[in-house]
Amino acid sequence: MQKNWQKLKSNVNLRERFLLREKIVDSIRLFFKSQHFHEVETPLMTSYPPTDPYFDLFETTLELPNGQTQAAYFYTSPEYSLKKLLAADFGNIFEICKTFRNKESLGGMHNPEFTIMEFYRINANYFDVMADFEKMLFFICQTLQINAKRFVYQSKNYDLTPPYPKFSVAELFSKYLHLSADEFLALKPLKKKAASLNYDLSSLANLSPNLAWEELYNQLFLNEIESQLAQFNQPVLVYDYPAVQATLARKTAADPRFAERFEVYLAGMELGNAFGELIDPVVQKRGLRHDLQVRRQLGKKDQKIDQDFLAALESGLPPCSGMAVGIDRLIMLFADVGDIDDVLLFPASQIFTDAETHS
Amino acid sequence: MSTIKAGNIKKGIYILYKNLPHYVVKTQFVSPGKGSAFTRVKMRDMRNGSNVEFNFKSHDNVEELDVETKEMQFLYNDGNDIVFMDPRSYEQISVPKHILGDKALMLTAEIKVYLTIYEEQVIGVVLPPKVRMTVANAADAISGDRQTAGKKPVTMESGLIVQAPLFIRTGDTLLIDTETADYVSRVND
Repeated sequence: MQKNWQKLKSNVNLRERFLLREKIVDSIRLFFKSQHFHEVETPLMTSYPPTDPYFDLFETTLELPNGQTQAAYFYTSPEYSLKKLLAADFGNIFEICKTFRNKESLGGMHNPEFTIMEFYRINANYFDVMADFEKMLFFICQTLQINAKRFVYQSKNYDLTPPYPKFSVAELFSKYLHLSADEFLALKPLKKKAASLNYDLSSLANLSPNLAWEELYNQLFLNEIESQLAQFNQPVLVYDYPAVQATLARKTAADPRFAERFEVYLAGMELGNAFGELIDPVVQKRGLRHDLQVRRQLGKKDQKIDQDFLAALESGLPPCSGMAVGIDRLIMLFADVGDIDDVLLFPASQIFTDAETHS
Repeated sequence: MSTIKAGNIKKGIYILYKNLPHYVVKTQFVSPGKGSAFTRVKMRDMRNGSNVEFNFKSHDNVEELDVETKEMQFLYNDGNDIVFMDPRSYEQISVPKHILGDKALMLTAEIKVYLTIYEEQVIGVVLPPKVRMTVANAADAISGDRQTAGKKPVTMESGLIVQAPLFIRTGDTLLIDTETADYVSRVND
């Protein structure tokens, strides 16, 4: 199979597609810097990685000249570091960096190392950040001189002019599955619904109720809701997630079973994830401990909580909201390609060639 | 029939989904934001040719179907059915057009294919990875937009339309990828 650099050598027209990355990243920088956000650079490696139970980490070892060693991990997100800077009164900030996730497919929608842009706006709620995302996407269209109203991706037309439709998770479960919040937050009614749709429930038998709930909730969301969102001809914002799925977000004022998290979907692709940030150190500590407990249930390696992160919260963080945007997927949209490998100069599938690809 | 885990479903196999045979067109790893991993399977219902998509939990049990394959030669397309012949026994089999879907447009004279048979019914037709076809009509290139830069649509003898480089002319023989229906190269005889 030809590598991307070889394809670029034999087909000059391809260069334009790969240079889109530069244009889009420039545009994002201009968008935030013109609003006086500071761009910062934080480490890719740490001893205290985020606790997300479902993320598999890349692990290595730090070795000192005297022979001492310490476990080191590649970050799955720069969130802890950026929040420490918010505690240090840096104000509005953003970072464009590589993040790492193991046990994901090579190609398709994933690459084990990928680029994210994470930004934080202080004294802002998550609806303000939704507006930031809408304006940013529109701004990229303008700088690329693309008509946002007639945006074409994979032969379908989309309208990228803000505002975008917004639905809470509860609204979506009610609309597409006729389940109330009381019902979809509990395992029993969720199982009943899944059984009525002919789902195989046998693989849930060995799981504890909280894990079984999460698997089924995710499966129903993917099959019955996300597939519907893919039919929209606009980006769709989904907000107010079950609190267990948003450890770093604060609970909603109206209902503490939900947290201030939103995601952006377009053409069946998940483009970004955002939180109304949790700044209460006590609640945060409880959430991180719960994450670690779930990690143990899942049989994953135990992690240590980043005490420095909790200390930053203790020292006081301004109220803020932040968002992580998948830059490679954003480029896929503007390049009109369906595989992330077509926007990466050196996709992992062309580097780790002994690994069997999933698709 | 054998039971496999959904995480091991591979492109090209046949599985039982909602008790009907389905051909696996594509599989994709999916992790919904913060959550467990799923296997998204794009599959074709072999009874009516419609495409469906389902996200399996990676540990779900799925029945993989044992299918039989038979080499046959393309005879003719009567509009509704496509007729194949066993070159050894001269036995003929009619296959409903929907089972081939878009691949019906990639059948060339006397091409050899493999019929996939499950419980004595043809449920699939496997073409060679690439076929040679003649261009019936290649209009002069119009200046492309960003979608079609450097390419133009050309119509093949069967009616199949592919995006080909601008230098392709009527009467050229092209190599077509039967999986994607994409232009591969021009054949210089």
